[in-house]
Amino acid sequence: MIRAALTLFAFAAVLGAPRALAAQDARLSARLDAQTRDAVTGIIDSVRATGIPSEPLVQKALEGASKHADDARIVSAVRKLAGELGDARAALGASSSDAEVIAGASALHAGIAPRALTRMRAARAQGSLTVALAVLADLVARGVPGDTATSVISALTVAGAQDAELLKFRQGVEGDIARGATPAAALGGRAKSARMPTP
Amino acid sequence: MPRSDEIDAAQGGEDVLEQAAEELRRPLRVDAALFDARVMDEVLRPRHRVRDAVRSLARKRSVSVSPIGALAAACLFAVVVSGAVMAIERVHAPELARRAPQLAGEPIVRFGFVAPRASSVALVGDFNDWDPKATPLRANAAGGVWSVDVPIRPGRHIYAFVVDGKTWRPDPAAPPAYGEDFGEPNSALTVADPGAQ
Repeated sequence: MIRAALTLFAFAAVLGAPRALAAQDARLSARLDAQTRDAVTGIIDSVRATGIPSEPLVQKALEGASKHADDARIVSAVRKLAGELGDARAALGASSSDAEVIAGASALHAGIAPRALTRMRAARAQGSLTVALAVLADLVARGVPGDTATSVISALTVAGAQDAELLKFRQGVEGDIARGATPAAALGGRAKSARMPTP
Repeated sequence: MPRSDEIDAAQGGEDVLEQAAEELRRPLRVDAALFDARVMDEVLRPRHRVRDAVRSLARKRSVSVSPIGALAAACLFAVVVSGAVMAIERVHAPELARRAPQLAGEPIVRFGFVAPRASSVALVGDFNDWDPKATPLRANAAGGVWSVDVPIRPGRHIYAFVVDGKTWRPDPAAPPAYGEDFGEPNSALTVADPGAQ
């Protein structure tokens, strides 16, 4: 009886597991060669069990395929992103949403330290950090030094700034940079006008 | 009475006039073949329209304008230019498309791109599998401004435009995405979750 149950379970697992991956494999199979697809699928399978969102990894592989990147580069980029997603999850906590983890990974990719994410999580335990982390990554991408951007966005978060206010703050900094201000000066000026502690 | 030297001078002047008149009366010899060839050369000579236009524009002219007329023209020019810039910026930056129908839970974002000479523009990103065929943009009536409304899940997204099926372009109105894994720059889009706060 037990042997029959185990056999049935194994049979179901054999049938069910490929079907669970089939939808994802269809996209990867259509755009990647078999070797690259297998390597990417292996990375995705290894991180999925830890609760890390896998869709960004699929999208990273598809981005590489659309840009005609070579196989090794695609696998390397997917592996790097998997590490950043895992670090973001660890820094933000297990209860953080997938959107927060993705935004956190983009902040880590931009050079923000994981402990900065942890501090921001502590400062806003209940509300979403997605926009705050995204704004942080965007500011660094514009050339604002990571530590000063982190301190200002963290302060805004602690002060209870809403998502719309954070996006408006970022647009203000971008506008000042476009008008000729250095990224650091633009951030400092906007922080002053927002009555935040200047970096 | 006229003096003898004056009479001689008058006589000499008449001779000169007579000679000049005779010269003018002489038929002018025109080589018909040579004349036709010169005319055809002039007709067939390649026209440098751009150069001629530049020279024409560079030629100095005197224009009389009243101060009120000049002021009115300047104001009209400023209004037209600022209006065009505002129109382009309004379409250009990714924004929530308020007039577009909204799907449940996914805000509609309007993407715009200015490419007057493009024959096609497509939106690619982590919301459409980076598929250049998935989300084509439509050109406006004038043909230079391309746009599309797309439902986007709240969160941070990466995207770019593909012009004429081969050239990747970031959105100049959006923040750049930090670091390029595959050599082509992307743009970042953050869609706030209306229910998050």
